[in-house]
Amino acid sequence: MSCDPGPPPAWANLQGLIVRGYTHPHSTHLLFRFPGRAAAAAFVKALLPRLQSGADWGATKPASMLNVGLTFAGVQTATTLGNDLKRFPMVFQKGPASKLSQDALFDLGDSAPANWWAKNFAQSALHCIVHAYAMDGDAEKEIVAFVASAAERAGVTELFGTADNSRFTQSQLPHDQVQFGFRDGISNPAPAWPVPGKPFDAGTLDNFVLGYPACTPFSPGPAGDNPTARFARDGCYNAFRVLAQDVTGFEAFLDEAAKPVVAKLGKTTAEAREWIAAKVMGRWRNGSPLVLSPDAPDDATRDEKVFDYGDDTAGLRCPISSHARVSNPRDQPVFPADFPVPRLIRRGMPYGPAGLEPGADRGLIGLFLCGALDRQFEMIYGWMNKNTFSDVFRPGFNTQDAVVGARDVRGVERTFVVPTAAGEIKCALPQFLTTRGTAYCLLPSIASLEAIAEQRV
Amino acid sequence: MANPLSMYVPIDQDPQIQEKVADLAKHFVDFVKEGLTDSQIVHYAKLVLIPNPPDKGGTQAILLSTEFDEGMRQYLRVFWEQPGINMAIQGIANIAAEGYKPDPPITDLDSFQNYIESVNLEANLYEAYPDTVKQIKAKKS
Repeated sequence: MSCDPGPPPAWANLQGLIVRGYTHPHSTHLLFRFPGRAAAAAFVKALLPRLQSGADWGATKPASMLNVGLTFAGVQTATTLGNDLKRFPMVFQKGPASKLSQDALFDLGDSAPANWWAKNFAQSALHCIVHAYAMDGDAEKEIVAFVASAAERAGVTELFGTADNSRFTQSQLPHDQVQFGFRDGISNPAPAWPVPGKPFDAGTLDNFVLGYPACTPFSPGPAGDNPTARFARDGCYNAFRVLAQDVTGFEAFLDEAAKPVVAKLGKTTAEAREWIAAKVMGRWRNGSPLVLSPDAPDDATRDEKVFDYGDDTAGLRCPISSHARVSNPRDQPVFPADFPVPRLIRRGMPYGPAGLEPGADRGLIGLFLCGALDRQFEMIYGWMNKNTFSDVFRPGFNTQDAVVGARDVRGVERTFVVPTAAGEIKCALPQFLTTRGTAYCLLPSIASLEAIAEQRV
Repeated sequence: MANPLSMYVPIDQDPQIQEKVADLAKHFVDFVKEGLTDSQIVHYAKLVLIPNPPDKGGTQAILLSTEFDEGMRQYLRVFWEQPGINMAIQGIANIAAEGYKPDPPITDLDSFQNYIESVNLEANLYEAYPDTVKQIKAKKS
């Protein structure tokens, strides 16, 4: 694609989490409802001094900081843009519980939108999410208290989306791990600006930041010269998704799935468990990609981001329905309707206690950043629920992501097939994840948040 | 499991526009055939002209009906990028009656998509078979 994306946005006008993975070990994610525009303005105004932009923070990370997202209902309440807001993409206007979003997300059974947020509030009540980050527990307490106090003074209502009315708080797991014991967040797009004349790259920043659609087929919008597009410019969408992970169920699955591996490949049970865990994920728990380290985890490849699947079309090293391969198929050819492969900026973190005691609520607080919620986030989610995007799934086209797929999707196969030189190994896939809630938020530019604070928009 | 699109658009009763409607209906398949075939996610597409009462004559509305594999919202970009499909849908938008015209006007993919969703009627779908277009083609090849 030969085009000119124009000059890049000023990073100081972007919210920081768009361009930087913070790696702060502590975070809390607070949900709010605005009673009206004035309260929203007062709340945002109070938060502004602690708001982290994308500007370089120098040698020392801030001890604490925050970012702010607004749902469509939040934007409606906080601004006077009124009827012009219909320029926002319908996917943002209607939100993740809408029928057309659910055609990709497939939140079925316990995951159904009717059960989200522990049924504590209606989806339409959620207006704002504040993401508060901190370097240690004391700093976290301080900034959470700061946000809660700002809400109280502004008359903004805090909402609690958990059964015990607690906040979504990051848990302290070792080594960048998430709840299934894998390292996470290894491969994220670098926040580069496209270079005219270079081949299209789905990871460049114009695919994520609103207002620069010239060179991206994902058309981040709203675009054009109108009040809503001006408000949205330099913003980015965040699909905020809280996913409970059944850790004990996952470990029980490994126990069962290891049996045919032991029988067929002569591995020990412990080896077979880790082997099958790597096969469903596409990486070993330390991060080593299977396609580079097919036999065992390797410290030399644990952070590897650059690799392809081109010489593993049969999935002998990395199964074609493994999570890492479905969510980022890299050079694997996809159908024209699915091309180009979208990328997401992932800023997730684990919640809930470490360990295996049953009954505990634990999982992932997912922040999936994109410029087009349907054409990037929901597209990949649809792929995870139904592997139909590439000819490698021929002839069945009826498998799904071994980790994330919703098992009750009609017509999909609940068996995971691992091809090996000694023949196929098959295992039954249980449901590993339950959706606790989802919100589509706009992470507005710093300028637009200032405009809200001063009631100029 | 497929998903239906049922675009229902009442059209302008101006005689010149009524002529355009007939022309659009006549050439509809020619416009969309290549793009829909390439997409491999659409089972069928039909354009139905809904007549005015007999005493009035002419066409009251257009119903564009398709059945998709996958989610409609995630794949409407295919319709935007395929010139024939894009032209057919924008052609319908251009002859829509007041109250059914695109607002805001179609200028980009989002406004195109928002318009389609705004005139899409909810529909109940019966399916005799669960197979997708890709599965059917794979079985036949």
